[in-house]
Amino acid sequence: MADESSRRIMVVDDDVFILEVMEELLEPEGIGVVGAESGDECIAELANGFRGVILMDIMMPGKDGWETIQEMIDRDLLEGNVVAMLTAKDIPDVELDCLKEHVIDYITKPFEADEIVALVKGYLNYLP
Amino acid sequence: MEYSSSLPRDGRTIVVIGSSTGGARTLEVIFSQFPLVDAAVILVQHMPHSMNNALCRHIEEISFMETGIAEDGEAIEHGKVYVAPSDLHLKLIKNRTISLFDDRKVQYVRPSIDVAMTSLERRENDRVAGVILSGMGSDGAEGICHIKSIGGTTYAQALRTCAIHYMPRAAFATGRVDEMLPPEGIRENLIRFAGIL
Repeated sequence: MADESSRRIMVVDDDVFILEVMEELLEPEGIGVVGAESGDECIAELANGFRGVILMDIMMPGKDGWETIQEMIDRDLLEGNVVAMLTAKDIPDVELDCLKEHVIDYITKPFEADEIVALVKGYLNYLP
Repeated sequence: MEYSSSLPRDGRTIVVIGSSTGGARTLEVIFSQFPLVDAAVILVQHMPHSMNNALCRHIEEISFMETGIAEDGEAIEHGKVYVAPSDLHLKLIKNRTISLFDDRKVQYVRPSIDVAMTSLERRENDRVAGVILSGMGSDGAEGICHIKSIGGTTYAQALRTCAIHYMPRAAFATGRVDEMLPPEGIRENLIRFAGIL
């Protein structure tokens, strides 16, 4: 079971509303939320040592979610994190097929509050 | 949780579960309070290497099954879950011994569900079952066909309950899936199939 110090997640989404909603839902549960509004911000947080659960939006301006994961792999920043994708699409991107070893889940927006809290708590169990 | 190992015997009951993106949610339901069953469970989950130990630890916490990362040359025993390690393919030799090997990825993944399932053999006194959970692609479809062809039992996750339904759909499209079931149904059927130790 993840200890208290590792109960934190990073939400990577250019939609600030999503970041705020995640904070409101998860911080009362004792889960710290780090917000990143772009793939580059996510990479910077990882380079600064963030390790935890990452909820990654796919469609972002600039570097999208798949490109961000590829950069995490290329720069050896994926190890020690559990990554789930956030998407508004019903049909999964083809990129998932070749990156599926690195993605634990695929969450379709909009999501229910109870659902996202339960999912994130579940992902915390899979941190090293 | 507490567990005890089964006594050695001639026949083996083997369950191979194939899981990918979204499958962790389903595993949570299947293994929650999962009893000590009279079968060896092989779990092939597509996941990063750093998740291997945590997955074993979590399944052991929520179930009554002893759980560990499968080791090369290990003889399978009932009452245990063997998690296929990332970056290696897993197959069973004569339905008894785990073999891990480094080979090219199959459908972008290693371990491959198909490789594990197609290694099973029709052997007197052995019973086998295959299960396909949520995931992208079609890994496991060939494996399900094989398990059915050797007299095994096959399940796939009901499409409406999957985060990603492509793998169960591909398995279903082979016409060799006995039942499409929600996670709770898979849990119940596996317990019934294996029997409790």
